Amino acid sequence: MKQVWTLARNELLCETRAKQIAPVMVVFALSLVFLLTWALPPGALRAPVPAPVAGAAGAREMAGTLMWTVVFFAAIAGFNRSAVAELGDTYEGLLLAPVDPAAVFAGKLAANFVFITAAEAAIFPAFMLFAGASPASLLPGILPVALLANLGLAAVGTLFTPASQHTPARSVILPLLTFPLSLPVILGGARLTSTLMIDGTYGTDARWFILMAVFDIVFVTIGAATFEFVIEE
Amino acid sequence: MIKDPLDLTLKLLAVSMPAGLVAVFFVVPTESFQGVVQRIFYVHVPSAWVAYLAFAVVLVGSVAYLRTQDQRWDWIAYASARAGVVFTILNLVTGMLWGRPIWGTYWVWDPRLTLTLVLLIIYLGYLAFRANAPDETRGAKVAAVIGIAGFAVVPLVHFSVDWWRGQHPGRTVIRPEAGPALPASMLATVSLMSAVFALAYLIFLALGVRMLRAESEIERLEALSVDSLPVAGNERGK
Repeated sequence: MKQVWTLARNELLCETRAKQIAPVMVVFALSLVFLLTWALPPGALRAPVPAPVAGAAGAREMAGTLMWTVVFFAAIAGFNRSAVAELGDTYEGLLLAPVDPAAVFAGKLAANFVFITAAEAAIFPAFMLFAGASPASLLPGILPVALLANLGLAAVGTLFTPASQHTPARSVILPLLTFPLSLPVILGGARLTSTLMIDGTYGTDARWFILMAVFDIVFVTIGAATFEFVIEE
Repeated sequence: MIKDPLDLTLKLLAVSMPAGLVAVFFVVPTESFQGVVQRIFYVHVPSAWVAYLAFAVVLVGSVAYLRTQDQRWDWIAYASARAGVVFTILNLVTGMLWGRPIWGTYWVWDPRLTLTLVLLIIYLGYLAFRANAPDETRGAKVAAVIGIAGFAVVPLVHFSVDWWRGQHPGRTVIRPEAGPALPASMLATVSLMSAVFALAYLIFLALGVRMLRAESEIERLEALSVDSLPVAGNERGK
């Protein structure tokens, strides 16, 4: 556990010093937010709705998927950037150190989780503001959704970032592997976010929490068990 | 005494495939509601089953490879992934051809369709990764991790898309509680076609493994010949 903490702290410390990953994620994400909110009718997410804006229902149905699309691409940009940062001999160093690969996985997972959550702290309010929604009323409901989804997304990304690192087509291979495998948490995040915007509650969609939690457990377990094969040189 | 299992499988396929096609086109009755279009069922369903089988073999081969580091398990997983992708594409294409006259559209975002498409993307990713992997051993190990993670995500994707929306027909053949919901002649035909597809899969698998073994042998021999050549400045030397 102490190893995990040290490794996670190391990743985060490097990032606060070098600022290599978060700015890339946030700038990229905000330009996507701009483009995607452009597609929605102005004021469509404004709540409560005294006189509904034309197309508001459809826009709310879409908004969750659009927001999580931005999160997914921001996460991929972050993973790619961190893979570049690791291009030196860091994995060899970690392999030489007397550290369990599962602990390395957990440490990097924790760091990636923080990066994704930090990017969302910029993405979600920006998206809601551009689309006419009030961040203060929606963010508390989205927080538990985001925590579960981020863990799953970070687990898949952490597992496959070093895998794609030495391939010539890294920037294509990484999303190709990450997208289908992280689909359950992306869909869950999108569905719950949209439901929250439509009804103000999770309703029967609350069952997605269980699915996302199961996904998180499965992928953290697989990642911890197989990470040694992914980073082995 | 079986001298060559591949030869025997080929002979079995040579007999069973024409028999299956005769059954599909001449023996089994035309379904009264959908008409002749329903006959695509005898290709569509077996290809799905065989694709699932192929991906299950990828999982088994991947786990066994990571445990034993025996290259033969990796060949089995890799060859099975290739075959599985072929059968998944066949399944999707036949389903779309059926969907156009019956549903009025080639594609709907139904759980089963979505899941199959996700499966296809996962294993295309697997193949794309292998094609770009820097070296064989590392590529094989990472691919094995994809093979395991890919199969683990399948039931989860199934639930998630099922909760989102659904349109695909329910189960008709394997129904543990109620028994098959189709006449004996149709059941016999779909079983026969499944056997045909399973044989074709086995042949793909065997030929794929044989090819991968040959590739590996060529690489070994090339490395040998380069090392043993006393030529100065050989470009292939490392």
